[in-house]
Amino acid sequence: MSAVVVASARVRRQRRWLAIAGLVVTVVYLIPVYWMLNTSFKEAGDIFAVPPDLVPLPPTVASYVNAVFSDADIARGLINSGIVAVGTTSVTLLIALPAAYGLARLRIPFLPVILMLFLIVQMVPSVNLALPMFVLFSSAGLVNSYAGLIIANCALAIPLAVTILRPYYLSVPTEVVEAAKIDGCNEFTAFWRVALPMSRPGMVTVTVISFLGAWGEFVFGLALATDDAIQPITVVLSEITNAYGVRWNDLMAVSAVIALPVIATFIFLQRYVVAGLTEGATKT
Amino acid sequence: MTRITGEPTGTATVTPPSRARRPRRRRNWRGLLFVAPAAVYVAATVVYPLLYNVTQSFFDVGMREVTRGGAAFVGLDNYADQFGRPQFWHSLRVSLVYAFGTVALTFLLGLGLALIFRRAYRGRNILRAVILVAWVLPTVVSANVWRWLLDGSYGLLNAVLSALGLIDGDVFWLGQPTTAVIAVILATAWSFGPLAMILLSAGMEGISPTLYEAARIDGASPWQQFRRLTLPLLRPVSLTAILLIFIFTFKTFDTIFLMTGGGPGGATETLPVYAYNEAFAFSRFDTAAVATVVLMVVPIVLSLVYFRAIRSEERA
Repeated sequence: MSAVVVASARVRRQRRWLAIAGLVVTVVYLIPVYWMLNTSFKEAGDIFAVPPDLVPLPPTVASYVNAVFSDADIARGLINSGIVAVGTTSVTLLIALPAAYGLARLRIPFLPVILMLFLIVQMVPSVNLALPMFVLFSSAGLVNSYAGLIIANCALAIPLAVTILRPYYLSVPTEVVEAAKIDGCNEFTAFWRVALPMSRPGMVTVTVISFLGAWGEFVFGLALATDDAIQPITVVLSEITNAYGVRWNDLMAVSAVIALPVIATFIFLQRYVVAGLTEGATKT
Repeated sequence: MTRITGEPTGTATVTPPSRARRPRRRRNWRGLLFVAPAAVYVAATVVYPLLYNVTQSFFDVGMREVTRGGAAFVGLDNYADQFGRPQFWHSLRVSLVYAFGTVALTFLLGLGLALIFRRAYRGRNILRAVILVAWVLPTVVSANVWRWLLDGSYGLLNAVLSALGLIDGDVFWLGQPTTAVIAVILATAWSFGPLAMILLSAGMEGISPTLYEAARIDGASPWQQFRRLTLPLLRPVSLTAILLIFIFTFKTFDTIFLMTGGGPGGATETLPVYAYNEAFAFSRFDTAAVATVVLMVVPIVLSLVYFRAIRSEERA
């Protein structure tokens, strides 16, 4: 009896220490994120203070106003990224949803080969695609076009989306689909009316991951958009890096604006994103 | 050729009694219509460019040929050119150092985080979720933030180190070969750490608590439990995590390109950065193709190993 009490007291003490350790580790781990925000709210002169101010007092949004929202290049970059990300997400959903359903629920031929194709493709370095795509797109007139960037982004987004979505359709009972067919659905309407609505969490996951993937994409933007007018914000940021020199507060403000949609969606849809990313990374 | 599954496809095969009543349905060829758009898309935008890239490596392709076509076949000249160039071997070496260093550091970070978040306590799930922000952050953002943290004159790291009396004056971490390599490894491992944490946490949850109870009764210390139980039982998951992170790191381009551009003096020029520069800085699309062909071999071989590993793991 007393042994149990002692043990539980020890366990409770242990938990308290673990909780403190967890908090400290998390705070230390995210110092870079804090430092980005901290710097972005500082006056230009304050970023060179020695030692640096740990809290930007008083905080100023000058960098956001001047460097982000009054700068035409940045605004255009953000719009371009938005267009490419929305385009990529739409095309990915359109193509990947039926494919994942087919691979999960229909007894199709060549199944292992197709599954393997989608998996291997995810291991391909972006540079390996960006190079031949630049050559091929040059002759097809797709360099410096939204279409070109969307096509390139989808090349990686679709296989990932299929891998993430397939388990969701595997969890839709075959009986439900069969019942729908007996009730007069054909192969397609059974998918559209029955299986699709049942896989809604998977659709949310894939929408978020495709969007965020295309939003933060850099290599295709760098290789396939040489014209300023079409460049995504990630490439714009890399190009102004040198021009800005030591204007770290402005650079951090731009970085924070790029990170904002990612962090926001991540916070609100955390459980979908994490589930999807681990599925995509590990599942066969 | 198509029969890879080994599943009985119908007629006279021996089926277990329970299934005897339900005849195997034939392969659903119409179902291919659902999959065809995705398969064709991937074939056209991934497989074809990759194969095209291989053919490019046998032709003489500069900027003029890219825009006007008419490249001449040169056989293995491009390969001979690349394999005779010290820079090529140098970047292969840098790539391997970078990948091994990042994998080691990421694994340690992931293991430490997984252990800290292993036991349930109030707020644990929130902390564990918040730390994932490091991983979902776009690479351009994290690369820029690291550049600022490591800045020689006003960076946070130097401020902390000089406050502790560890350094005197400015240290330009990204300006010296050795520290630049360490810096890009650190930044990459920082991003991948939470991924390793998720993979290893899942593995730890799979270990039965009764084993630890038994170990405790036998008087095993926490360290002994970790050393003799957790680590060995985590081996399959660790292997998966290590392979996956190795593949991801080996193909990483943006972190290095943005932090150092491959410098100083090529010290951080990994194979992807080298290939990119060959193509876009020097317009040598043919030799760049050679570099990417080599770049391709490592992840493909490793991912085959990886798929075999998870297959056998699932069968076990």
